[in-house]
Amino acid sequence: MFEYALSFMIFLPILAGLILFVLPVGDRAARGIGFAVSLVVLLLGIELFLGFSGVGGMQYAENRPWIESLGIRYSLGVDGISLLVLMAGAILYPMVFTVFATRRKGFYANLLLTQGAMLGAVCAVDMVLFYIFWEIMLLPVFFMIGLYGGEKRLAATLKITLYTISGSLLMLAALVYVAVSYHQQFGKWTFDIVELSNLQLGGGFAILAFLMFMVAFAIKIPLFPFHTWLPDAYCEAPSSTTFVLSAIMAKIGVYGVIRFVVPIFEPELARFAVLLSLAGVAGMIYCGLAAIAQKDMKRMLAFSSASHMGIIALGVFCQNVQALIGTLFQIAAHATSTGVLFLFIGLMEERRQSREIADFGGIAYRAPVFATFFAIAMLASVGLPGTSGFIGEFLIILGAIEFSGFIGFLAGTSLVVGVCYMLWMFQRVFFEKPREDCQPFTDLTLTEALTFLPVMALILGMGIFPNAFIAKIEPTAQTYTPVQQAVVAEMTATSPRPMVVLSEHKN
Amino acid sequence: MNDFLSLLPLLVTCCGAIVLMLLAALEKYRPESGALLSLGFLAAAFFLQLSTLGEPARPLFRELFNGMASTSGFSAAAGAIVLACAFFTVMITHTYFKENSFATLEFYAVLLFAVCGMLLLTLASELICAFIALEIMSLAVYVLVGFNRNSLRATEALFKYLLLGAFAGAFFTMGTALVYGAAGSTRFYDIAVFTQSGGASAPLMIGGVFFLLVALLFKAAAFPFHAWVVDVYDGASVPVTGFMATALKTALFALFANFLAQSAGLHDKWITFLFVISVMTMFGGNLIAIGQDNLKRMLAASGIVHSGYLLIALVAISADQFSGSVIAYYLAAYGAGTLGMFAALSYLGGKDERRVSFEDFKGLAKVRPFSAAAITVFLLSMAGIPPTAGFMGKFYVITAAINADHIALAVLGIVSSILSMWYYLRLIVLMYFHEAEEGFDTGRCGWAGTGTAILVASVFVIGIYPIII
Repeated sequence: MFEYALSFMIFLPILAGLILFVLPVGDRAARGIGFAVSLVVLLLGIELFLGFSGVGGMQYAENRPWIESLGIRYSLGVDGISLLVLMAGAILYPMVFTVFATRRKGFYANLLLTQGAMLGAVCAVDMVLFYIFWEIMLLPVFFMIGLYGGEKRLAATLKITLYTISGSLLMLAALVYVAVSYHQQFGKWTFDIVELSNLQLGGGFAILAFLMFMVAFAIKIPLFPFHTWLPDAYCEAPSSTTFVLSAIMAKIGVYGVIRFVVPIFEPELARFAVLLSLAGVAGMIYCGLAAIAQKDMKRMLAFSSASHMGIIALGVFCQNVQALIGTLFQIAAHATSTGVLFLFIGLMEERRQSREIADFGGIAYRAPVFATFFAIAMLASVGLPGTSGFIGEFLIILGAIEFSGFIGFLAGTSLVVGVCYMLWMFQRVFFEKPREDCQPFTDLTLTEALTFLPVMALILGMGIFPNAFIAKIEPTAQTYTPVQQAVVAEMTATSPRPMVVLSEHKN
Repeated sequence: MNDFLSLLPLLVTCCGAIVLMLLAALEKYRPESGALLSLGFLAAAFFLQLSTLGEPARPLFRELFNGMASTSGFSAAAGAIVLACAFFTVMITHTYFKENSFATLEFYAVLLFAVCGMLLLTLASELICAFIALEIMSLAVYVLVGFNRNSLRATEALFKYLLLGAFAGAFFTMGTALVYGAAGSTRFYDIAVFTQSGGASAPLMIGGVFFLLVALLFKAAAFPFHAWVVDVYDGASVPVTGFMATALKTALFALFANFLAQSAGLHDKWITFLFVISVMTMFGGNLIAIGQDNLKRMLAASGIVHSGYLLIALVAISADQFSGSVIAYYLAAYGAGTLGMFAALSYLGGKDERRVSFEDFKGLAKVRPFSAAAITVFLLSMAGIPPTAGFMGKFYVITAAINADHIALAVLGIVSSILSMWYYLRLIVLMYFHEAEEGFDTGRCGWAGTGTAILVASVFVIGIYPIII
């Protein structure tokens, strides 16, 4: 039954999106179709999740020849690495169709195209296939920001597009280099990531290719210092698009690092791990401090999202099981918390035509349900125990300490910054005395409440029963890291600095 | 018999050209019937050409032609691309002449003669034959460029092109003479044998090949012989520009590849030269394209950039089948994208091509969403964004370059395509993100509209099923 499940999940939204473009459907009908399609994908996603056993490599795999002369295959599959990212893309999506009624047909069509492309990128096992979906998912975002965004949308959309495309094109050269090296070593063409991980690269070009991959993914994540496109794009994009960007698309950047960089470039990654994890921590601190200073809530959240992406990326660079599991878990957790916060900000903007913190106040007295929901998502975002945000961040910090005490310490303390800006914002917006000229603020409508209720349940569920999720991803994560640790040990044996770290850990 | 079959597309086109020329003497036939007739001849030739695709590489009529012409999978593919480009050009022309009335039957006759020259060029395996084919093609194209006698710009373009083209022709003959002096033969095969045994460094050979390359690079619009392109493409009418940008380039690169691929000695000797030329072509073209406000001029400049990518493939070319088919594939992908742009321009341009600048297309998406979507697809294909044919073309070129150990060239190609995003995106931004200032009330899309639709489909089809011969 699940033979074509992944293809179906990928191409149903894409086809629906294309049909919406061509057919003269009304805006309401388009929204209905989008919701129906995303619901089908959601149900299929849950079914896949429940049926996922976690052991034995790729599940639900599809593998067909495509371009034979270069060994490019139409190859899809899910394993523990991609499972939660796939779920983030499949499960959270119906929300964007139920909130914000004022959108146009083209917007919904673009949303569907984005979903199909993102799911495709997550499921692709073949690097060329991945690259194709990776590039496609940018196009609808380009149109969504450019057509339906805020006032400065043109600059924002050009910035994100040029930035991301530059990164992607560099990655294209690097992935061709990897395949050609494989061809030279093994005498056959393949772009299959499982086979490519047998490759032994070395020398200057390998480092160059590694850096090209890293730049592409660092731009998408975005990792400090490639984050400069983010505040503008997140702010100018319509809130649903911002949600898609921050909750799912940014995660595919991290996923790309785990899926493609880690297996192929083990020695290079080990060599640059300290630098990269410092970049992650620097991003956390810098973006966190920037968030404190923001007056615009959406901009603040944009920086907060970038700050969290720093810690998620850090988990990858620590190269041990705890951090990896933490990262994979946090990918899903962050999607449910910060992603949803963007939607909340969108709702507030819809009600008040403003995003300035100063324009709000006392919302909690007027809209208690909304305030409760907001508080849950916010507390998950700052990592309160009992919510989904805690488990992931805890595991990542644990892994970071194992990797390097200094970096772990920095990462752990900088989490406090997150608490600062979030709670301060929450206090100003929801508690302080309402301003006198304030218009009334209506609470969540029934549709909205029903939309967000499952996510709230998910946030708490992931926080209280994390094992249900971790059990699925752990086997893959376990097989993913021993090789790495061997390499790390080998690398550290030759360089003195991390040696100290390693011996500390042994003691 | 098989040899005859391989020549048949050329013969059919030639017959078509002669028939049209004769009909033009009679007053009762209107230009529309000329379009119809040439479509018929081109379609017939195209399908005949397709049927020869699987044939093995061999000289045609060895006794008769003495190795002047030969066919191969690559030549056949290039011939098919030329014919397809000409077919769509005729469709574009038909619609274009509804608004711009300088059509006569002779236009189509000359067009078919140009196609004859191009087909012969893809088959040429000897320098004199190549020269004749080059001149048949060039003379016909000169006439097409200046066909609108009422337009001063077209006349100016014709004059520039004719004068410089004549120089290029002279260089080509000069080169042929010198190469003959060194190698004692003008056949590619004999030249290859000669260069293999160390002849590539003979002074006469170096001079001769240099002159030949100058002529070919001039026709291919490569740096530093690219200065004419922008003016000529701008002055010529939209369909002719499209024809020059695609069919002519295809034929020319077919000759280029045939000439270089056969002789490894020559290729090794000139590889650094071609490397520098291709890098300069890409970046020079980008520099020109970024500054343009006129769409046709931008497309002309982007054509220079694409010549640069094709030169990358030429640098990477070797005797194996793959790199030859990379060039053919890239030409097909580029041809579909570029001709599609010109097809859309031909009916959106309005009377006397009054809409030509970027600004004129502001807000097109609001008024004519399908045309805007088609143009977007073509631009994305030219920019190399998946899942279009242009992406696969670029992917193959990069793979060929890295496979031949030219990693630096591949990276420079990538950098150049990042630069080119700017002017492709600029048009998309103007079409979609600005309000329309006019109604774009043009005549009906007609055949050009049909052509656009087919080209959109083919951009995706060759992108998703990338056929490598």
